[in-house]
Amino acid sequence: MKKYLLRLLSMICMMIGSGIGIQVHAAAPACPVKIGVTLPLTGSLAPIARAMADGAELAVEHANAGGGVKGCPIQLITRDDQNQPNVGVDAAKYLVDVEGVAVLSGGLSSGVALPVLTTVAVPGRIPYLACCATAATFTTLAEEGKTNGLFFHLMASVKTQAAGAAMAALEQGYQRIGIIYMNTDLGTGMSRNFTKIMESKGVEVPIAVPYNENQASYRAEINKVLASKPDAVFFIAFVQDGATMTREWLSFGGTQNIILHNGLRSIEYVNAVGAKHLAKAVGFDNAPASGETVNAFLKSYKEKFGREGSGPGIAPQYDAIMVAALAMNIAEDLSGTSIRDAVRKVHAEEGVVTGTGPDEYKKAFEAIARGEDIRYMGATGSVEFDQNGDVTGPILVWNVTENGLGVVHGYTQDEIADLLREIQ
Amino acid sequence: MSGTISYLIFFGVMVLIFGIATLGLNLQWGFTGLFNAGVVGFYAVGAYAFGILTAPPRPELIGNFGLPWIIGIAGAIVVSALAAVIIGMATIGLRGDYLAIATFGTAVAIQLFALNLEPLTGGTNGLAFIPRPFESLLGDGFSRDLGYLLVVALSALVAYTGLERLARSPWGRVLRSLRDDEVAAIALGKDTIRFRLQAFVIGATVTGFAGALYASFVGFVSPFDFLPIVTFQLWAMLIVGGSGNNRGALLGALVVWLFWTGSGALIFKLLPSGLHTQAAAIQSILIGLLLVLSLLFRPAGILGEESVVSRHLKNSR
Repeated sequence: MKKYLLRLLSMICMMIGSGIGIQVHAAAPACPVKIGVTLPLTGSLAPIARAMADGAELAVEHANAGGGVKGCPIQLITRDDQNQPNVGVDAAKYLVDVEGVAVLSGGLSSGVALPVLTTVAVPGRIPYLACCATAATFTTLAEEGKTNGLFFHLMASVKTQAAGAAMAALEQGYQRIGIIYMNTDLGTGMSRNFTKIMESKGVEVPIAVPYNENQASYRAEINKVLASKPDAVFFIAFVQDGATMTREWLSFGGTQNIILHNGLRSIEYVNAVGAKHLAKAVGFDNAPASGETVNAFLKSYKEKFGREGSGPGIAPQYDAIMVAALAMNIAEDLSGTSIRDAVRKVHAEEGVVTGTGPDEYKKAFEAIARGEDIRYMGATGSVEFDQNGDVTGPILVWNVTENGLGVVHGYTQDEIADLLREIQ
Repeated sequence: MSGTISYLIFFGVMVLIFGIATLGLNLQWGFTGLFNAGVVGFYAVGAYAFGILTAPPRPELIGNFGLPWIIGIAGAIVVSALAAVIIGMATIGLRGDYLAIATFGTAVAIQLFALNLEPLTGGTNGLAFIPRPFESLLGDGFSRDLGYLLVVALSALVAYTGLERLARSPWGRVLRSLRDDEVAAIALGKDTIRFRLQAFVIGATVTGFAGALYASFVGFVSPFDFLPIVTFQLWAMLIVGGSGNNRGALLGALVVWLFWTGSGALIFKLLPSGLHTQAAAIQSILIGLLLVLSLLFRPAGILGEESVVSRHLKNSR
């Protein structure tokens, strides 16, 4: 036994010695080109994550119909991360090492996406086009150069979203707003940024109560907010918790002046609470800039899945895959660093404007083949990354109507930027 | 091919880390009969202690001392042991399910501390860039994981042999007597509370050590790493592998983790990509099925407990 162990140890030592300097990931393009996605397909985030996974699938379908990548079809592999960091990291590692995916995407919870980035993507030199993990930590890491530029966000960061929420609240004329927020990086960031903007605008935020997810009841949190006598309440939550909380809030006599986080922009939430109780509620979400490319996406999503494609994360996830596919066409080869650099060329200033759907992809595909620049306008509008891999974007204000979810109006990218500058 | 090896190394590290944590639980439950339903709490204490000691300094955090790896490990062990002594002294008088509820509560409390003690733990943003040993030597590629596999394998070996020694010593036999018939043990003059506390603390320390290894491996910890589901995973590993058997604990870690992640890989491999979204539910069903079947057909676990552990008795046969 001991001898055997010793031999094993010495073998491992030798492997380490010989392993130094070996390049594991060969960059030879082989058909099909694979894209790996990890999303929490089971658990409390499943309703959101599944719709997002469908968005990814639609993008792959469009890209393949429009030419694929360098003559190869794209294969999408979607894995469940169960919203657990250890499961997510394992799934991502499997996708990169065994399946040989060229790009990682998905990433809903920042708690899972961060270890995937630092443990799998960065050491493996694989670009990670995350859909919706909006934690501020990603930006910090990018600023410090620790992501190697491999990380990209397809959803506007928490700051932009908070500005949108603030504008929606100001427009309603609320004077005293209580907040209940999920105690996650997303919730904390949203609550803090929102409070900062509101206070600079002279609106009181007497209380912001964090809650821990997946509770059966939020009575304690609700009572704290009620005690501060707000004239409106801001729920920063996802569907299941949000529905529980809203029902309790209303049954305790809380005001119907509710501001809803974009995680609640889902028909499941509205049905769980009842549309008639949400008549005065307003929500915000990352908005499409202008109609055409967005409508094309929404139409094809509805045709394929029979559901609205306007829910949280769906459009960014679609764009993540489209950007990855276009970038792989632009890149010289399919090594992670080449793709990383090409992602920044997907939205070139003077390029041929291309949009969503198979025909538009084909247009882009052919333009790239001719050596021209392209300017991708996606399902989320203009997809332009700053040096940290973040996007900023316009915000829309939505409400609940008898027929489900409605859009009230939007704020442009510039209006959001102005507000953020103002409070600096 | 090299990719598969690289994944297997990664997988092996995870299995061994879980294995070490399960070994700690085995000392508590398998040998002593302490129903610790808050394993993840000690796993978290070890991980955070390690992270706070070794991660590079950040202006917004009071911890992050950037100390060497080995000091981090030693510190994590000491802190886990201290936490276990405090929690153990408060709860160890409780029996059975009462102890389970108390420990479960402590684990939830620990997770909430991690979530809210922001200046120290980074709160929801977690602690990033927790170092691995010999990083400068091994680079960031293939050999990085392989080197770490060696470190973790050595750690598992130390934990395993140490716990085997303990289990086969007179001290270990007292633990078994406590588990099987506490009154008899008291009648023989054993101070049961002291023995229970010792087993609890040593077990929790081993689990905390595993937590430190995890933090160092993944390089990032956040409160999401330490939800009660991890307690469930570790318990599943122990029950499937064989409670009361250290090799069973290690084997259980391998089998359960293989199933937990392998079932995902397999399903997504077999089904066309259009069905991936629905297939995730099948993975959860398969995991549940494994547990139910193993309880039905191997209630004592794959390996089960050895009826004679004393090496003197064994030799005399």
